[in-house]
Amino acid sequence: MADADEAAIHLPSQDASAHIEIDLSDETQDFRMLSNISFLTDGSQASIPKRGEKDFEPNPTLYQADILSASRQAMHHALSHPRIHHPKNQIVGVYAPDGPAPPPQRTTTSVGGLESIAEGSGPAPAEPSPTTITTIGNVHPDACVYVANPKSNLFKTIGQADRWNRIWLLPEEALFMLERGSLNIRWPRSEVGFDEEEMDGNGVEDSGIPMSLQAAYAAFASRGGLNSERFSVYTGLRRLGYTITRAPGWDDDAEDTTGDDESTCNENARQQGGGAGLVGIYSRFINWLCPPSTNTALGPVAGVGFHRSYDDIYSKLSIIPWYDPTATPKAERSRAQAPYRVVFHVYKPSTPFKKSAPPAPDFRIAVVNARAHTSVPTMSQLGALLESTPLDPPSSEKMSRQMYMRLRHGYRNVILAVVDEGVVSYLRISEAAFGKEKLYKQKALGNKIQHRPKPKGR
Amino acid sequence: MDSDPLLPVPISYIAGSYFLFSIDAVTYLRREHHICGVLSGTLPQIPQQNVFLGLPLKLMPEEARLLVEKGVACIVDEVKAQKEGMRALREADRQKYLRELESQGAHAMRLQTSRKEQQREEALRKVEAKKAAAAAAAAKKTTANVGSGEEQPASAHPDDAADEQNNQNQTSRRASTTSNSTTSVIAAPYGTTMGITPATSHPPLPYAPSAAQRLPAPAVPASYPLFARLHADGYYLSPGLRFGCQYLAYPGDPLRFHSHFLVVAADWDEELDLMAVVAGGRLGTGVKKGFLIGGAEQVDDADSVRTFSVEWAGM
Amino acid sequence: MTSPILPSALTTLISSFTRETSPSSNPSPTHKPTQHQTLSANPQTTALTLQVLHNLQHQQLWTSLQIHELHSGPSAAAADTTDQTQKTHLISGIPPHRLYTHPDEQFYLLERGLREEDLELERMFVLPTVQGQTWSLRRLAGVFDALPEGQDTEGLEGEEGEERAGNVGMENENSNSGSGSSKADNLKEYYEYRKQARMTKEWGGKRMLLAMVDRQMGGDSTVVYYVVQDGAVKPRQN
Repeated sequence: MADADEAAIHLPSQDASAHIEIDLSDETQDFRMLSNISFLTDGSQASIPKRGEKDFEPNPTLYQADILSASRQAMHHALSHPRIHHPKNQIVGVYAPDGPAPPPQRTTTSVGGLESIAEGSGPAPAEPSPTTITTIGNVHPDACVYVANPKSNLFKTIGQADRWNRIWLLPEEALFMLERGSLNIRWPRSEVGFDEEEMDGNGVEDSGIPMSLQAAYAAFASRGGLNSERFSVYTGLRRLGYTITRAPGWDDDAEDTTGDDESTCNENARQQGGGAGLVGIYSRFINWLCPPSTNTALGPVAGVGFHRSYDDIYSKLSIIPWYDPTATPKAERSRAQAPYRVVFHVYKPSTPFKKSAPPAPDFRIAVVNARAHTSVPTMSQLGALLESTPLDPPSSEKMSRQMYMRLRHGYRNVILAVVDEGVVSYLRISEAAFGKEKLYKQKALGNKIQHRPKPKGR
Repeated sequence: MDSDPLLPVPISYIAGSYFLFSIDAVTYLRREHHICGVLSGTLPQIPQQNVFLGLPLKLMPEEARLLVEKGVACIVDEVKAQKEGMRALREADRQKYLRELESQGAHAMRLQTSRKEQQREEALRKVEAKKAAAAAAAAKKTTANVGSGEEQPASAHPDDAADEQNNQNQTSRRASTTSNSTTSVIAAPYGTTMGITPATSHPPLPYAPSAAQRLPAPAVPASYPLFARLHADGYYLSPGLRFGCQYLAYPGDPLRFHSHFLVVAADWDEELDLMAVVAGGRLGTGVKKGFLIGGAEQVDDADSVRTFSVEWAGM
Repeated sequence: MTSPILPSALTTLISSFTRETSPSSNPSPTHKPTQHQTLSANPQTTALTLQVLHNLQHQQLWTSLQIHELHSGPSAAAADTTDQTQKTHLISGIPPHRLYTHPDEQFYLLERGLREEDLELERMFVLPTVQGQTWSLRRLAGVFDALPEGQDTEGLEGEEGEERAGNVGMENENSNSGSGSSKADNLKEYYEYRKQARMTKEWGGKRMLLAMVDRQMGGDSTVVYYVVQDGAVKPRQN
């Protein structure tokens, strides 16, 4: 991708809309542009500021030094912005280092004559046994923060509720919410040096001590399969309004799923039949009369015999085998290996999303660390990755008209998020089926196809 | 405003990456040591965009190594430090810390209420002012809002916090306009302090890590000598994947300057694909940057690094 | 693929023809016959070098072309002795117009109202390469080390005369245009400063052109040229 700034200069600027395409996040932005926004006071003004002008190289002028110092000051100011929670609507989470567990009971064991404020009696489970995890509800075992007062629109797409109406958050969800200032996570008493005496009693886990951003990164960023590359992708897409959830391929040892359905394959077979109606009957009759010879060793490739149409000849000329992505996959499917596995399902902001029954994702993403994997993935790695995604034929009304759109869309697709030290690049990989696009059949349409979009490089 | 941090600056090693959480450390290292890192966190004040990002600052292993070698920073096993440090807190520490937070929270609350009070007064003053002036100001404001709205990217943000904040602001504004003694009325039912999520863990944890929590200098790729040389020559370096190279080299702070070079490192006897040199030169020229290839003649000696710049000749 | 290809009979023929026609384009009397000798049918001259030479002469319209055989310099010698057979050739010549001006040099010229066309043309070095050839930083550094210091081409035979000739021509033109005297002073000042700038590498260090021939399977013998400079030299902005 070209430098945003220079690309703007170089592009023969056809229209103003070209500038919208520019990804401002390509290069470091001048934070002075941000200071125009009045934080805290008015949320409606929180629009993205314009890009600032940059210089080619430093010169010893005071003017330049002043601007630089102002830029740094603005950056310092912006980054110092506190994460504060108004007591009226603050959302409090509690870190559960041992994973999902039922709420502690308001009882104590009262063993050993410890002082107790217990109202009831009966032993409380000291540690959550494996069975309790399943009994608390449909909560992912990697979840590690629970929220007792989930009052935020964010919870429409984030978290899983247990039987006590608490929302459990996965590490990336908790970290994202804390980072954006929407969640105040507290240390549990067990982690901040409360002794036995203080632990017992009122059944409160919340120590009241907030987790800092630093503490939250330390606790969550490497927990439950999360790493900093995956988190960069998660948080980057969340910020843009996408809904993003873990895919089954998240755990390296988990079986990746394939969502293949057979229905679309049959349609393909039907198309081979040679047309419907009388024409179909006629061509089938001809084919029966003089079966097309498949032997090209002797004589012309097109074969000797009757040729009633050019299509007939062209189809005989196509002797080079091609791969049909819609064909039923081999029984032995190679397994997608990390990092070329789908780890995230992504939904557009416009896609209606229901946590209890997530729809089919709009995008599937595999995350690759550019530092650890410096070469382009091999054909077999990409093949296994694509095979792990469901068939997604170009079926929209627009694509049925435009061949290049069909080719670009492909029959299976996946997005590679390549992360270089926090900088993410997204690449869409799709399985194109050139063999399925019979150009000689296109020709019959004649001048109907006039506008052929230039294939865009990517 | 910004104060210099105590040296060595602790760099947190978490999940295979190097992070800075202290804004003072970030500003200081940028100003004095030309280390920029990559901001990777969400800015709480504008959380729905990727153009301006916030803390933490992610450092390349090269950057962390350079700072350690300069004696300016040390690497901390943050997971261990957090766990050990928090568990070792005594009640006195906790109480002290909570009191600090409470006074900060109260301060924040006072600031916000007084700001709202000011706004309210301003609004009242405006109302009392001439109608014509008020109308003009209102018109101006709407046009300004429309203008800024256009610059927003097309992608829709269906949720959430911005709306939430709006609602919150509106409701509190409504409250403040209807009641007379604003401060007490608003604050009373919900307490008088804001909850705070601090950026760093110091306090309550100690600033300097214990010896057992320290980690050795980061392992760096073979391109490190070139990195160190360019840095010593005054360049600011950042990850270059976006431009298909290893580093982008800026002649000054990337806040204010465009990058000069797309940098790729090679070992002294590593086989160079000339096609890659041509491709780099062409790509660089297309974005008014040079393509710079280089490496160390002898490893472990930054002074013997040779570099070559490539540009399209235009013929 | 990387081994040098000996010139075919045809390329040798073309090359000798080329050489013979070259004096007409550059009637410098100071050229010594020995120089021509190296340019002509030296069996060590590879087809690659000749191909680039032809491209420079006939397509890019360079003049005073010479071929230089690079004797393994001090750093190249350290490379490896097995590579001895792979001799490196350099071509030098004078382009029809100025190819490279350092951004600061450009600014200097602009300040004094000088245009690039006012300057005498300079001899440039070209390194012929072909796609698929094995190169390394060590080898590239060896080539640069073998280049004359500070782009000082005076060591080359015949260079002195050319430069002087070019200079005279320029001055004549200037005096004809009327506003010559101040321009001549400016030019003189520029040349003085350039000498100094070359010492300090203010306007960049050694530089040469990398010529790469597309000659692999399906290649169309296109030659592309890139300016390669020793050290980090800031990019041009136009």
